[in-house]
Amino acid sequence: MGLDITVKIGGEAGQGIQTVGTLMAQVCHKAGLHVMAINDFESRIRGGHSFFQIRISDKPVWAPHHRINLLVALDRRTFDLHCDQLVSDGIVLMAKTAGEEENVLSIPFETLADKAGGKITSNTVAAGASLAILGAPFEIFKSVLSEQFGKKSDVLKMNLSAAELGYRSVKGVSLNSGFLWDFADPKGRLIDGSRSIALGALAADCRIAAFYPMSPATGVMANMNSFSRDFPVVVEQVEDEIAAINMIIGASFAGVRSMTSTSGGGFCLMTEGLGLAGITETPIVVVNAQRPGPATGLPTRTSQGDLQFVIRAAQDEFPRFVFAPASPAEAYETTARAFRLAEKYQVPAIILVDQFFCDSLYTDDGPFPVPETIERFVVGDKDMANAGDYKRYEVTPSGISPRALPCKGEALVVVSGNEHLEDGHISEDKLNRAAMADKRNAKVAGMLGEMTPPRIFHGNSEILLVGWGSTEGVIQEAVAMLQNEGVDAGSIHFNDLWPFPAKATLTLLDQGKKFFVVEQNRTGQLGQLIRQETGLSHAGAILKYDGRPFYPIEVAEGLKKYLE
Amino acid sequence: MVTVDDYYSDFENKWCPGCGNFGILAAMKDALVKLEIPPEKIVMVSGIGQAAKTPHFLQCNTFHGLHGRALPLATGAKIANHDLNIIVNSGDGDCYGEGGNHFMSAIRRNVDLTLLVHDNKVYGLTKGQASPTADRGMVTKMQPQGVMMESFNPLAVALVLGAGFVARGFSGNMEHLSRVIQEGIRHKGISLIDILQPCVSFNSVNTFGWYKKRVYDLFEEDYVPDDFDKALKLSREWGDKIPIGILYQKEKPCFTDGIATLQEGTLLSREYDPKRLQNLLNPPTT
Repeated sequence: MGLDITVKIGGEAGQGIQTVGTLMAQVCHKAGLHVMAINDFESRIRGGHSFFQIRISDKPVWAPHHRINLLVALDRRTFDLHCDQLVSDGIVLMAKTAGEEENVLSIPFETLADKAGGKITSNTVAAGASLAILGAPFEIFKSVLSEQFGKKSDVLKMNLSAAELGYRSVKGVSLNSGFLWDFADPKGRLIDGSRSIALGALAADCRIAAFYPMSPATGVMANMNSFSRDFPVVVEQVEDEIAAINMIIGASFAGVRSMTSTSGGGFCLMTEGLGLAGITETPIVVVNAQRPGPATGLPTRTSQGDLQFVIRAAQDEFPRFVFAPASPAEAYETTARAFRLAEKYQVPAIILVDQFFCDSLYTDDGPFPVPETIERFVVGDKDMANAGDYKRYEVTPSGISPRALPCKGEALVVVSGNEHLEDGHISEDKLNRAAMADKRNAKVAGMLGEMTPPRIFHGNSEILLVGWGSTEGVIQEAVAMLQNEGVDAGSIHFNDLWPFPAKATLTLLDQGKKFFVVEQNRTGQLGQLIRQETGLSHAGAILKYDGRPFYPIEVAEGLKKYLE
Repeated sequence: MVTVDDYYSDFENKWCPGCGNFGILAAMKDALVKLEIPPEKIVMVSGIGQAAKTPHFLQCNTFHGLHGRALPLATGAKIANHDLNIIVNSGDGDCYGEGGNHFMSAIRRNVDLTLLVHDNKVYGLTKGQASPTADRGMVTKMQPQGVMMESFNPLAVALVLGAGFVARGFSGNMEHLSRVIQEGIRHKGISLIDILQPCVSFNSVNTFGWYKKRVYDLFEEDYVPDDFDKALKLSREWGDKIPIGILYQKEKPCFTDGIATLQEGTLLSREYDPKRLQNLLNPPTT
């Protein structure tokens, strides 16, 4: 029986819940354990209620767990809200207790922090106490703190002392299911979703990112910003999302790979620009980190409500790619691939993630490959018989026209968002209009050939759970639960969503199998899409749309209701 | 040597006969020839409207984009390759109406480009509605009771936002306009040139004759455009006398000068280096 512990740290916004959680995750990662942590917070800077829930295991974990082994309550409300999730032998750490059961320990975080040299270290006290209960060797915590504060020796000293006081405060207390800490090498990297996307952009040599701040998409841009010192990367915060998308279109036109990231509301503002990228055949990459909507919706919560929106966003018809990665390693590779394919086919590519993915912390031992070279799909004067005759929108069988860059030679690059002739000049000619619409949409055949089929997990099962994007880990764990209970269930999962890989989907689903979609929206948008593209209908839908991520047990129970 | 023939385009012009845009196009070509800039060294970015069609009527690299969005698009191109010589052709509706937010931000960023706003106080392409620069009270089919908003003053707004080159031209004075455009292109930073032009189809008030009677040339007045307060006062002069020329000019650090990584060359010219990413992903152990 493997180890599987969940620690929940809760309190008010501004109390440093994330700091405690991140420190713990770093210690566990360093010790060779696997972690998966979700970040739950309100749309406010101070007060309210937030929590960081970290699952620690000696096996890979890709989903949050619904039961808590250790609850660190930085305020009373955390205890009241979450004590019913505690396992029977769970432990609670609180600053002040009020005669609760013996598993509720009073740890005066702030008093101990004061002793260590300042209230600011109370997070370190809390992390210390929690790690001590898990039985984590102090040495590892010490080295994590040294890495964090090493440059400021006074601060480090204070934190080390706080850590020690935290450790001592729970001396003799341990979880019944305590870990065996046998110093293995770290399992892959400790990384959140946002960072994996930004790293993927670097791996595609993306050099410009323009954005308007919007939760939960800002993390991607914050990471890009952190690269701008050591890489040729410019990140510009702009006046609105309309400016952001037009700016990256301009940058791409001039020859530099560019991206933006936003959430649903910002994506709404970008839709006209998306169409501009479509008709001008300018490659761009747009990250949509979904949150519940419409309009402002729930700014800091999660959702998969934008699938049908992004595959159709903007008026009229033009090809685009839509990808929804499920893990950091996949997000890294998918983002890099999105840039490459956007440029190869001269179309916009959309990466559809969500708050759950962006703000969650994973240990991922995926490869994160670094390309030796970057293939650019551009031409110059030397590739042309006569640069003076260059036509940006030359009609070709593949629909892909040679793409030259402005001011890089004699060839004049004429681009227009109006319908245009092969040379880029505006035209209302009816034959030309039809030819240009045909040319643009002709790319779909090639694009379809680039799509990876959905991933199969126990695909020979009688019942299949079908999901997309961030929920793969949750669904696979639900499948394991169901199989343990004797239910013959498997799953298939989509990363590449558009153009829709209909052939592969038909092969997987059209075997008289019952399939159920699992989605974080109200209407089963992938289910609708599958029906539209393959004619196959799902037998049911397991949906969660309260803004919170799925727990595996909810998926398993959702299916069992159908089977009753 | 660059000649005006280099800029000749046989693409069918789509403006009304007598449109002020013809004067602006001629002045633009004249300025480019005098500055000896060949077509392949110019990028024209435009939004939507009659003015925004300008790049199709001469030879150059062109991005004819969305209504109001020329400036952010041009800014992106400039970040990617700050060696580009960019001219934005916009109109009063495009730049000050739909694109107002971008107009403010582009000035605040001080992006090194030349912004020509063909200002005829009406929406020509949609048949004559009032634009942001229409004078209060101007009657159109869609504003039968007259415009009820204050007229937008682009020059005053640009000045208070810190623009380093604020000028006004008149489509009816080609030579003067060419000189202003040449100065604008030479200026480092954003150069706003608001160009008064008649709309022969939809503006029966601000006609060629109406302007001709009122405009006076600041070059002839020996006006020195280095005083912000004087410039602000001039920017508000409207009615019987309307100044044309450079109201204000001051060199300031432009946007791309402030971005550290661009000092090592244009983003476009930089080499991809897999080692850097390798080091970031897998830091060498110390």
